[in-house]
Amino acid sequence: MPLLEIRGLSITIPTPKGDVRAVRAVDLSVERGEIHGVIGESGSGKTITGTAMLGLLPQGTKVEAERFHFDGEDLRQSADRLRGNRIGLISQDPAAALNPVLRIWRQMDDVLRLHRKAPRAERWAEAVALLASIGLNDPEKVLRSYPHELSGGMLQRVVIAQALATGADFLIADEPTTALDVAVAMQVLELLRQLVATRGLTVLLITHDMDVIAEVCDRVTVLYHGRSLENGPAEQVLQRPEHPYTRALLAALPDAAPRGERLATVEGLFIDPETGALLQGDQP
Amino acid sequence: MTGTPMLEVRDLVIRYRSGLFAPRAKPAVNGASFQLMPGETLGIVGESGSGKTSLLRAILRLLPVESGSIEMSGQDWLAIKGRSLRQARQAIGVVSQNPFLSLSPRLSVREILAEPLQAAGQSAGAALNARIETLLGDCGLPANFRDRRARELSGGQAQRVAIARALALEPQLLVLDEPTSALDVSVQAQILNLLADLKQQRGLSMLFVTHNLKVVAHIADRLMVMRRGDVVELGATERIVAAPAQDYTRQLLSFGLNAKTHWAKGQGVQAR
Repeated sequence: MPLLEIRGLSITIPTPKGDVRAVRAVDLSVERGEIHGVIGESGSGKTITGTAMLGLLPQGTKVEAERFHFDGEDLRQSADRLRGNRIGLISQDPAAALNPVLRIWRQMDDVLRLHRKAPRAERWAEAVALLASIGLNDPEKVLRSYPHELSGGMLQRVVIAQALATGADFLIADEPTTALDVAVAMQVLELLRQLVATRGLTVLLITHDMDVIAEVCDRVTVLYHGRSLENGPAEQVLQRPEHPYTRALLAALPDAAPRGERLATVEGLFIDPETGALLQGDQP
Repeated sequence: MTGTPMLEVRDLVIRYRSGLFAPRAKPAVNGASFQLMPGETLGIVGESGSGKTSLLRAILRLLPVESGSIEMSGQDWLAIKGRSLRQARQAIGVVSQNPFLSLSPRLSVREILAEPLQAAGQSAGAALNARIETLLGDCGLPANFRDRRARELSGGQAQRVAIARALALEPQLLVLDEPTSALDVSVQAQILNLLADLKQQRGLSMLFVTHNLKVVAHIADRLMVMRRGDVVELGATERIVAAPAQDYTRQLLSFGLNAKTHWAKGQGVQAR
């Protein structure tokens, strides 16, 4: 049984101007121990889907699904309990995820105190070990620092350590490297891969960046206008995409065409968002 | 290409002042030299702290220079001051990263595009309106967009308006600071195509600053890679992409989908 199993997910958010159907029909199945990429452009519903798993959608939002289960439990009832225990979140901007006026230790300890009834010295030792295990040199100095004293890559590692401190075995990483330089991004992705191998983590990696998917993901699901279009091993979807939209998106990458030649553009709607019927391109 | 360079930068050093008694900081730009010929696009690539934005600001005269020289079309660009600097700056168009920050939310697209034209002395009237429609058309937007406001535009449309505004005074040099970083992949392709068209039609020189080597390698004739204030690589795009001299450049190129050549060969995903 997959760790995360979503079938026929639809999310409707009430707004003063009427209901908005942000997600229409998403299927997503994540196996234990894999890094599963969710790729989509603005408005595809990728972040809303992640937010729904965390139970953090605005009040009054309607979440309907045939299956919306994490490890056999329906997320519609148990998201609040799973969040911060088994499901952790890594967000795009680590500087915004941390409190600027508190030292890293206070922010790590907030998590540790909640989850372990251990004396301070033990919690300190655990924080040190945790930061060391995710590749931060001199973890004691990091713990005594304020967020502004650390680089973006170090901050993202701290946020990952915080998520691990809860004991989470499933991480939702929403654009975890978008705010980072390429060289640092590669290190953070490598770290995620290591954690999957050594700690048996499962990662749902939400991104708009095909390069990130190609670097670390085992499998990938493509979202478009609130619908999942296709899924499969990352290599297969990126090399032999079946859906015309995925093909168009890959052809629009700046290194897909030789220098000086025009890039293929993604024009018009590919599917009818209401029905999911294909509007252009060959039948997948 | 021969003749006078559009822009020539020699041994440029930019240093931010630290505290009064603090030791002298390392320069933000440490002796950059390059030429930009008319009609040429130079891509400047670097990560945070590489000095690429400081270099750009110095060229726009928004930042004082410690030493070195900048010449625009053979003239000493650093010697121009005051009113004549404001005049001379009209030869440079600027497009920044986030169009929603650079376009006033209160103004209509027509007002946004009229502003630089009127500041340069054009009076309101039919000629001005026709000029605005031409600018919109050149940037791939229909004329009826003139009545919209920034919030009624998508990211790609807003960036097109920002490019139209940068072109309003017929600059010879277009300075682009991360112009596609805030856009979706599909929209990024449209903007890169638009810039390629404008370059061809107008013979524009462009400085394209970004942290994304792949984006700029698609459009630039030459590349300059910066790291911690130093220019670590400068040369023709083909040469740098084919045979990067620096490990750093190689690392930037080795990342991502189209670097996965072993996939194309059908050898399967790299062993993990």
